[in-house]
Amino acid sequence: MAPLVPSQAELDRRRLIDINLETVSNIPSTDFPGHWPGESHEWNLEKFRNEFNVEFHRNERFESSFSLVGLDASIANAFRRIVMAEVPSVAIEFVFVHNNTSVIQDEVLAQRLGLIPLKGSVDGINWMRWFKKATEDEPEGSEPADYNTIVLRLDIECTKNPNADPTETDPRKLYKNAHVYARDITFHPVGRQEQFFTGEDAIQPVNPDILIAKLRPGQKIDLEMHCIKGIGADHAKFSPVATATYRLLPDIQILRPILGEDAKKFAKCFPKGVIGLESVSQEDAAKQGSGYEGHEGETKAVVRDAFNDTVSRECLRHEEFQGKVKLGRVRDHFIFNIESTGQFESDVLFLESVKVLKLKCARWKRGLADLMR
Amino acid sequence: MSREAYQVPSSLGGQTAFDSGASSLDGPMVAYLCGECNARVSLKRGDQIRCKECGHRVLYKERTKRMVQFEAR
Amino acid sequence: MPASVHSQDQDQSMMDATAAAPQEQEQQVEQEDVVEEKRITVLPGATETAASFQFEGEGHTLGNALRYAIMKNPQVEFCGYTIPHPSETKMNLRIQTYDTTNAVEALEKGLDSLMGLCDVVTDKFTASRDAFNASEADKMSS
Repeated sequence: MAPLVPSQAELDRRRLIDINLETVSNIPSTDFPGHWPGESHEWNLEKFRNEFNVEFHRNERFESSFSLVGLDASIANAFRRIVMAEVPSVAIEFVFVHNNTSVIQDEVLAQRLGLIPLKGSVDGINWMRWFKKATEDEPEGSEPADYNTIVLRLDIECTKNPNADPTETDPRKLYKNAHVYARDITFHPVGRQEQFFTGEDAIQPVNPDILIAKLRPGQKIDLEMHCIKGIGADHAKFSPVATATYRLLPDIQILRPILGEDAKKFAKCFPKGVIGLESVSQEDAAKQGSGYEGHEGETKAVVRDAFNDTVSRECLRHEEFQGKVKLGRVRDHFIFNIESTGQFESDVLFLESVKVLKLKCARWKRGLADLMR
Repeated sequence: MSREAYQVPSSLGGQTAFDSGASSLDGPMVAYLCGECNARVSLKRGDQIRCKECGHRVLYKERTKRMVQFEAR
Repeated sequence: MPASVHSQDQDQSMMDATAAAPQEQEQQVEQEDVVEEKRITVLPGATETAASFQFEGEGHTLGNALRYAIMKNPQVEFCGYTIPHPSETKMNLRIQTYDTTNAVEALEKGLDSLMGLCDVVTDKFTASRDAFNASEADKMSS
């Protein structure tokens, strides 16, 4: 049987997820073999390679925004989940408290320290190996060594400032070291770490101004911290992203003309720049059945840039636009936004996430080979 | 009746039960902090529990010198 | 989760790697780093063309992606995944195929498709990223 080729209108219909006033329809993807009779939706790597496209919108060091076009939602979601939960990073895990006479309890202080994002040489962090903690199943964990543990120290004492004004009330002037910031954490490289983590690449907090604790004279904090590699699925402190999200490209179709004052009101229903106002040209008016006949010269609403739309569905709330506009989202166009916490660069993070997915598949494939035997 | 009266457990039994019990062998001088004047007060076994400087009778023990390990979670 | 508190008389100091025998540690390192291959278990009641596989330590991340990849195979009659209980990280994947292939082959083909997809994504992403950086650099310098 000759393959059935669907019409362009049908393809457009399949391409969009419809957004109605109170419902969302046409959600599941139907591009698998057997769903559409006569059509082959078999996985074809070449076809995917030709149709897949990546477009960058922003690429700052710690924030990237890019579009993946031609991907399925399950894969895009897999990338998003992996970048949040399975890309490894380094964070403080063990806190050895020698002395803590501050009002912040030891465990609270330890938890705060764990959440401080750290940065350092990327080569060094990639060179580091995993540290296996001792569990009930495996009482023998890893030995702390230069290749799996990073040592940081925090040693600070608050004292009275003898040079302060007697009427002074600001604790930062009255006392020395009253506020303990992340910049007070010192890095102590061991062994081969000195090669990787030197100078600018030393392990240090991404934000030196994070307030850890407040002290008063006589109180001290003296502790040692061990940092290890971990993944976000274990604890959120190991997640290398502040946020990794995607949204689908919105689609606005103006079915019947929206003219004059209505057009201005329509433009106000969307964020600035999404809807443009143009005047009806002679060609528009000449088109039979377009609805523009006799309206030459009036302002009409035109979709300029659906990318910036937030899909608030405001236009669907008004009577005058009923039946004239159709909202939707393009099902295979994902606009990703990845914000890194500072340990890795955001474009590198996405590449890592793809690598992790590939490694997962490779690992399971090897496990499959065992099954076959 | 006298046979049922409470008898202090023998020091031998006490030491075998607890290896380094809290009260079996305290250091010669333990530092405490006065509740009012915050002065360090060193006391040994049998001393009057009173601050040397202000006479306040509530003393607090200092934080242990032992290292404590936590998981930053 | 309550913090675990271990009171220790001696401070736990970190072993200096240069002090201990480096060779012994290198060997240990290699053994540690051999990735433990988790097994796929086949649930009871499986036949040549219809089987349920159980993956340990996986969830929707791999489950949904793998399900999509396997469904793209025209020889697969049915493919679905489920997570039996959210408290356990187990993922069950059911594959039913037509007689032209068997379930294990379909699973392997699905994994291969996913790996091929990852390669294409990496290539296109890197190319696009480099082109974008280059054009931004041009804009800055001009």
